[in-house]
Amino acid sequence: MTEISKLTELRKLMQSMERTLGLEILSPVERDIYYAAEELSKSDHEVRTFGLIEHTLVQSVSRPTFFRALKSLVEKGYLSQSGSANRGRYIVNAPR
Amino acid sequence: MRAWAIETILASLAYVLASILTFAVLMPLQNVFFPEYPSRASLLFLPHGVRVLSAWLLGWRAIFALLPGVFIVFAYLGGTDVFMPSRLMAIAIAVLTVPAVFYLLKAIGWDLFPRSDRKPCWICVMGVGIITSFLVSGLTNLAFGSATVEYIAFLIGDISGLFFLMLGLYFAFRFADTRRG
Repeated sequence: MTEISKLTELRKLMQSMERTLGLEILSPVERDIYYAAEELSKSDHEVRTFGLIEHTLVQSVSRPTFFRALKSLVEKGYLSQSGSANRGRYIVNAPR
Repeated sequence: MRAWAIETILASLAYVLASILTFAVLMPLQNVFFPEYPSRASLLFLPHGVRVLSAWLLGWRAIFALLPGVFIVFAYLGGTDVFMPSRLMAIAIAVLTVPAVFYLLKAIGWDLFPRSDRKPCWICVMGVGIITSFLVSGLTNLAFGSATVEYIAFLIGDISGLFFLMLGLYFAFRFADTRRG
């Protein structure tokens, strides 16, 4: 395991602690979008906005709320916009 | 080889820093707030957290990674007594017990070591910390021949030390993210 992946594992451990102790800094909508993105990223490296909107966890969220939460997730570093020219694609960052 | 050197430096440094924080900051505070407390053991022993997290991350390599740090702390606290058989035994107990418990649990089918394809379980790591605290406290007290009150103090210190070290790490990561963002 490399140095970076050890740090990632440590962060993942802290994240599991965060959830149990209720220390999360994500809103319920942000959390749902992040979980949806995490699940979608298992089958594809990049997650598309369209795929996220269609996800069962996010379906009931209004478009403005969805895009606000998506922007917030990018700002907090949970998601990052794909480097490719095609906008609307996101990369799920390691849990923190 | 370079990775091993980095692991050793980081783990030993973390152990020494956690020990300095425990003995130079937390214990004087403990003596102020609990002056009637008879034991000389810390009620918040952060180095146990370093032991547990190092063993969780590094496996058996944590033994060698922590050894210099544990030796430095024992030498700092005990001076030349560090070469006494009881102290050498305590050093061996300090570095061997936690990895041994992680591997024992793995052998009986409960593999807690980190893997990229699954989420870690902090409660389970805490559980190992508690089990190893019982073992380390018991074995160390055998080595030193300490009283029961010391044994209980070791247990409280180890468990709270692991929990608060993890909590401290969590807030450190969060602070780093805030600064970066």
